[in-house]
Amino acid sequence: MSETSNPQLRARDDIVLKVEHLVVTFDVGRELVQAVSDVSFDIARGETLGLVGESGCGKSTVGRAIMQLPPPKGGKVIFKGQDITRLEGEALRKTRTALQMIFQDPISSLNPRRRVKDIIAEGLQIWERPNQRARVEEVMEAVGLDPETAADRRPHQFSGGQCQRICIARSLALDPDVLICDEPVSALDVSVQAQILNLLEDMKARYQLTMVFVAHNLAVVKHISDRVAVMYLGKLCEIGSVDAVYQHPSHPYTQALLASIPELETSQEDAIPLLQGDIPSPMNPPSGCRFRTRCPKAQAICAQQEPAMQASPSAIDDHFVSCHFPD
Amino acid sequence: MTDSQHQTQKLPLLRVEDLTVRLRGEAGIVHAVSDVSFQLQRGQTLGIVGESGSGKSVMARALMGLLPRRATQQLDGRVSLAVDGRVLELLKLSEREFRTLRGPRLAMVFQDPMTALNPVLTLGVQIAEPLQLHLGLNKAQAMARALELLAQVGIPDPEGRLRQYPHQLSGGMRQRVVIAIALACDPRVLLADEPTTALDVTVQRQVLDLLLALQRERQMGMVLITHDLGVVANRADHIAVMYAGRIVEYAPTSRLFSAMRHPYTEALFKSVPRLSDPSHTRLHAIPGRPPQLIDPAPGCAFAPRCPNVQQRCRRETPALTQAGDEHLHACFYPIGSREVGA
Repeated sequence: MSETSNPQLRARDDIVLKVEHLVVTFDVGRELVQAVSDVSFDIARGETLGLVGESGCGKSTVGRAIMQLPPPKGGKVIFKGQDITRLEGEALRKTRTALQMIFQDPISSLNPRRRVKDIIAEGLQIWERPNQRARVEEVMEAVGLDPETAADRRPHQFSGGQCQRICIARSLALDPDVLICDEPVSALDVSVQAQILNLLEDMKARYQLTMVFVAHNLAVVKHISDRVAVMYLGKLCEIGSVDAVYQHPSHPYTQALLASIPELETSQEDAIPLLQGDIPSPMNPPSGCRFRTRCPKAQAICAQQEPAMQASPSAIDDHFVSCHFPD
Repeated sequence: MTDSQHQTQKLPLLRVEDLTVRLRGEAGIVHAVSDVSFQLQRGQTLGIVGESGSGKSVMARALMGLLPRRATQQLDGRVSLAVDGRVLELLKLSEREFRTLRGPRLAMVFQDPMTALNPVLTLGVQIAEPLQLHLGLNKAQAMARALELLAQVGIPDPEGRLRQYPHQLSGGMRQRVVIAIALACDPRVLLADEPTTALDVTVQRQVLDLLLALQRERQMGMVLITHDLGVVANRADHIAVMYAGRIVEYAPTSRLFSAMRHPYTEALFKSVPRLSDPSHTRLHAIPGRPPQLIDPAPGCAFAPRCPNVQQRCRRETPALTQAGDEHLHACFYPIGSREVGA
């Protein structure tokens, strides 16, 4: 696959994390699946980038590839000016302290045999940081856990929402620059989901975090993000500010996703045609534009030529789309 | 109201009265469903909304006679199903009698279409099975009917699919097959328990639209169970909100959204992130978490999280009371009442 140019990468001096031409492949029996193919974006200091798409689009794989879990097959992940795909061993582990991650299922992300204070302190112990106990208490209080009562308990004594608070506290203990959240609220009940989203906003402000927020729920992503990247079958379809992507969606896939969301406000009768069919298998993606098999606007060229990233017709700054017929 | 509608008003298709289910769990007796009552008319959709542990799935299984027998400590109340001019008391039926109803009278669509299908049987065999058992069709007739059903649920190339196995289909296609099986014997009542939760959002919309279209066409009564208010907002005629095993509010859908009375309904409604809100809008989180249903404390189960809580709420359990035409709530101090500060 040829590398495309990347007009969506911004020329700013406060870019903390830049992903260029990222390619991740998996062995599936005798075949190779390209889960992420040539994805590029950047995130400025203090920004939250929402990464959305349906299952199998590669959004979680991008999050993990940033952490080098596993290292991507191709492309660069540039963190504070350094390409971390070239790092190995101790240097990579050291860099990872500044990049932390929280996951979808908070209960299985925690060792059931360990006490909460030890779970949160583990990173501090490994890196022999000073004042470990005070730091553990500080982050526990920050996430709304009472150190007095919670520190000596084990994960099974907490609900899913509380476990996600423990995971967030653990991720903050080493004072990271970047927090990667992989579907952090999708396993939680609606009433608890709101607590965790509010908490993430608070933690971002308190610890000056830059965030990558991977989720399939567009309303959740809108609430927490500054910029949004939409993925489909391993490709980036559209990227821009929240206002650009939600108010002026340029890619037919983004439009269809937005139209599909069940909303509480009644009478959302569709101006946009519903998508037909299912997502094709990533084992054998369609030629040209990968969305063309479900796209209401598809023409002959869409099967022949892969669309390049270009400025959106919305004329909003830093709003890009890869489509032959964008709106 | 026309005469025929009046008739059906008198005799609901499905009537549930004071349904109570207690299950034996590892840590004690779980009060999974308590005093649940509702009615379902022919051709109507009732949305049941609740978070995990609210008892909505246990209730559905009780209606289908699918509760785990050895774990059921108590099953009380009445479930009446009107079919062929008779009223059947479902909780009094033997397993053998119940088996004749599942399929032709009552059918269920489950959340996970992978585990609902048998991985080692072809789709054709699985769709044909109820047709042969309940309708007495021979194999060729049943396969022909299975083909029609697959086409009705919108599966492309139904002929080829009949010979395929579940793993050869995507999640959305599998759920269509599950729906085809549920509808095979033309049931009067369809219970759909989180039918789209395991599906992607673009596929969810297709499957929901399909369910609704089939429900209207066949004039089934449908119970649509979900944790997502958005799923039922535009689709159900009535909505029942469940919390901790009880219905806390019941109303026609438009009325529920325009004049909700129970503080939990409002809190749930407000905690959902909306597309219409600007980015970084603070969400209205409900403090705390849903209660454990083992040895529930006396009083209203929502009291520990309720913004309007008063002394009485911690002592007594509020009953479901009438709050207007077809609108019921279980709250001593509902939204809009005088006792609550404005």
